[in-house]
Amino acid sequence: MKGGSFFMARKWGQQLKQLIVKKADLPEDVIMDLPRITMIGQLHIYIENHQGLLAFTDREVRLMLKHGHLLIKGSAFVIKTILPEEIMLEGQIEQVLFINE
Amino acid sequence: MKNQWTNYYTGYVKVKAFGRGTERLINSLTRRGLHVWDVKRIGTEALVFYMEISDIPKLRQIVRKSDCKVTFLHGKGVPFLWKRVLKNSGFLVGLFAFLFSIFILSNMVWGIEVHNAKPETEHAIRKELERMGVKVGKLQFYLDDVDTIQRKLSDEIEELTWVGVELKGTTFHFQVVEKQQPKKVEATSPQHLVSKKKSIITEMFVEKGKSIVKVNDYVGKGQLLVSGIIGTEEKPEIVSAKGVIKGQTWYKANVEVPLETKFSVYNGDEKTKHYLKFWNVSIPIWGFIKPDYSNYEEEVTIRPLYFLQWKLPVSYKEKTWRSKEEIKRVYTKKEAVAEGKKMARSNLEKRAEEGAEIIGEKILHESIENGKVKLSIHYQVIEDIATGQSIIQGD
Repeated sequence: MKGGSFFMARKWGQQLKQLIVKKADLPEDVIMDLPRITMIGQLHIYIENHQGLLAFTDREVRLMLKHGHLLIKGSAFVIKTILPEEIMLEGQIEQVLFINE
Repeated sequence: MKNQWTNYYTGYVKVKAFGRGTERLINSLTRRGLHVWDVKRIGTEALVFYMEISDIPKLRQIVRKSDCKVTFLHGKGVPFLWKRVLKNSGFLVGLFAFLFSIFILSNMVWGIEVHNAKPETEHAIRKELERMGVKVGKLQFYLDDVDTIQRKLSDEIEELTWVGVELKGTTFHFQVVEKQQPKKVEATSPQHLVSKKKSIITEMFVEKGKSIVKVNDYVGKGQLLVSGIIGTEEKPEIVSAKGVIKGQTWYKANVEVPLETKFSVYNGDEKTKHYLKFWNVSIPIWGFIKPDYSNYEEEVTIRPLYFLQWKLPVSYKEKTWRSKEEIKRVYTKKEAVAEGKKMARSNLEKRAEEGAEIIGEKILHESIENGKVKLSIHYQVIEDIATGQSIIQGD
């Protein structure tokens, strides 16, 4: 997530938010619309604050984020639950990639 | 995240979506607040997922605006299960009808067997049973219980000494003992006739043997009456002595007749409660008020229900309360004496030989003590006093 903050720092508002986060010790994902990702080994991945499903196959899942995409690679993917801002993915997870455009 | 355990009860469907932009479909579904789970990719263009039944109208709206098509693969959960049960209700009804008919047939009478009875007695028994309603094809439930049938049969049919009634499964077995047993073959072994009790001989009829005593002789107990050894002393012949020797005998009877006797009799008031019995718990189904009889007798009848050879844990119980009343019978002295005589006579008939004749009756003593009439009666009886005593050979 460090790489993400570097690119977001360009915007004025983002800079302010980052400041607030640093000074007020507030959780980054709430203030800055960052995804909160929880993984249980390679079995589960739980992503909050995503913006929608872009692509879904059993080897690759692409999620839209506020800024950029999140690419998850692996095999035998099954979406256990999907809600507007949350997704729970099951399968053999090999890579989690942030793609910034 | 939403709890999913209620889905099973409200019902859910498996949906297949195909076409371009299936991911967009999922996005719009979730944005509309539909609950979607277990999404899987099938091939390149199709997705399968699960969703709740109640969301199907929303799904249709969303699908119309998208490039996808959906088909429903199958439904799961209680609503679908229930639908299937209704669809196959014929089987269910058939199963219950089958169990019910077996249950009914298990509680019917399928056979009546009478053992050890002469044809006439058997016919009488069968006729009597028919009158009582014990017939092949009747439900056991409506019949009297085994003890009652036994009592009624013994009461109604004269020839029966005893009848054992047993219900084995669906068959009644009647074990009969008749009064008229085949006559025993008379003993032909060599014998004397001796006296059974002390008496004065009044009549002699000797068929075989040599009479030792004469009419009007006094004989003691065990005295030789008719000898089985006949012929001359040099050439004796041993036979089986036979004959009827009647003698006058005496009996003394002591009877006591209370002047006042208390009886309890049923006055006809009765109340019946019906129960269904599950294991040991009785649940009343008819009759809820306990009768307020001061003096009563309780009678409980339990009718078991059968399924094939098994007794079901459910049975039908009937409880009857019969009101009783105390009745006091008061005799005058005269009545008491008459009653005492009657009792003494019937007692005497048991003690004396069969076919005995009472020729004299005399009250020796009569007194009233503690509300009781005490009688001492002397009887003169004429009866057969002869009995056989075998001659031991080689003496």
